[in-house]
Amino acid sequence: MAKILFINPVVREEDVPRHVPYGIALLAAIAMDRGHLVQVYDANAWRRGEDVLRAVLRADDWDVVALGGITTTYNSIKRIVTAARDECPSSLIVLGGGILTSLPREMMTWLPQVDVGVIGEAFETLPEILGMVDAGQPDWTRVAGTVSRSPDGTLVLSPQRALIDDLDGLPYPAWDLFPLEEVYFKNSDVLYSEEGMLATRRLDINASYGCSLICRFCYHLGIAGDMRYETDDKGNVNPAFDKPGTYTRTIRYHSPEYVVTLVKHAYDTYGINFVTFLDENLMTMDQHSGRTWLKEICRLWHEFGLMPTYEYDDNGDIKSWTGVHWSGTSHATLCNPEILKTMRKAGCSHLVYGYESFAPHVMKTIGKGASPASNIRSFFWTLESGIRPIPNQIIGFPNEDFESIRLNMEAWKKLGIVVKPHFATPYPGSEWFTVYRKSILKQYDGDLEAFILDLGDASAISAVISHNFNAIELIGLREMMLKDDTRMIDAYEKIWCENHGIPEGAPATLYTKSDYGHAAE
Amino acid sequence: MTSVLKGNFTPKKTVDLEPEKKDLETRFENAALKRLGGSIAFVAKKKIKWDADE
Repeated sequence: MAKILFINPVVREEDVPRHVPYGIALLAAIAMDRGHLVQVYDANAWRRGEDVLRAVLRADDWDVVALGGITTTYNSIKRIVTAARDECPSSLIVLGGGILTSLPREMMTWLPQVDVGVIGEAFETLPEILGMVDAGQPDWTRVAGTVSRSPDGTLVLSPQRALIDDLDGLPYPAWDLFPLEEVYFKNSDVLYSEEGMLATRRLDINASYGCSLICRFCYHLGIAGDMRYETDDKGNVNPAFDKPGTYTRTIRYHSPEYVVTLVKHAYDTYGINFVTFLDENLMTMDQHSGRTWLKEICRLWHEFGLMPTYEYDDNGDIKSWTGVHWSGTSHATLCNPEILKTMRKAGCSHLVYGYESFAPHVMKTIGKGASPASNIRSFFWTLESGIRPIPNQIIGFPNEDFESIRLNMEAWKKLGIVVKPHFATPYPGSEWFTVYRKSILKQYDGDLEAFILDLGDASAISAVISHNFNAIELIGLREMMLKDDTRMIDAYEKIWCENHGIPEGAPATLYTKSDYGHAAE
Repeated sequence: MTSVLKGNFTPKKTVDLEPEKKDLETRFENAALKRLGGSIAFVAKKKIKWDADE
């Protein structure tokens, strides 16, 4: 059976490693279930550099070196595949995940060391690749969901891989192949709630795939029904994602029994006291199920004895608990007071909301299906349930302007929101990337790889898609927003209007709907 | 010693890690970097590229 080395690349180097890579943990479990010989090197957890990486690569005769991640792992992946080709000249190097899926041809070109790319969901594709390695007669074009190289070097995409229907058929993630005690449990705390801060043994789970919404900044990794194969005018087949007027989705979720049995397994095996749901949007699944899914998960949480019971300190504050607290993602228009209260009673401590903006004219353009009014309504519902809402904000939207900036600042003040907004970022695979691709290339002197290398978690600025503000203006405006300095923002608006020839009393914006996709051109 | 490889078989060679030891200079510079701003500024000694004779 194939001997496979999984490598988890480094991501978010500015922080400690916090998350076991869920996809790799599932794929390792699947490979072991099929009888393959599996080792995992978690480069993100260990962060020990090139010498250790090369020692790992020399540790055995690997048939396959497999790696993957999100787009922001590109820097690390480039280093890993270079070392892997040096040290393991005869191994098959397989790259998958969101990074490969959004730009398969570009990635295979920039990373010539990679033999096979897995586009979209790998749950069936990777085992088929391993089976072909065992058979000794590889023909990757016969494995759906791959991109590979023909003998003359041209890239060949096999047919699109269908998403699996039976999510509950997946094994549990192979958490024991990752350094839980050595690294991850030490970094369990999540500063989103009191309970999150006190978490000492946290794991993440993923209970669903997909989101019904069409936020222009979202990339769903090709595993949410968001990907289609299209043929361009040169006859090349390429994956295509959201673009104006074309949105596709497939909503899939595990049964509540699978979800809670998995958490119980983690509780019994690893003694966890906190679970983060990685799901894109728990409320999509709840609505799709006719409001039964989350209610049943919460009921089972109690039935399986996972509801937290507390020990208090002398001040009456929580010191520790038995059971499992949890958190996840919500949505302003899809939540309701009843389910939020039910979730709180089952141990939910906080919910992340992409409120994004409190400006109506901005919210209308982003495909979120929410408004400032629904943001505020869900904000209070969540607080009243006893759950902390995490109010994520973004600035630098295509039609961001001085008015939207002021509306955000007013809302933060009224609602007690303390936030340092993300910058609107056109990640590959998102509608924004498709629409603004020319503009992004212009900002990076035509070098798309330079843009990919520059991408982080959107707390720093990269390509700008705002029609009104450049990168320097956005950084300065964010600084003034944090200081609640309206005086300086008002003064700058006057200068900005003069610079752009906007007469007094006219709307201070350069954005028109027909300009969508043409920032900085 | 901790093995960085975890799996369902024993590889031909093990890759063990000594506990990471960061020297005082590195620990100081990392700590200062986390609080950078205002009067917290420092010289990253290993990154000096300017030859004193220039």
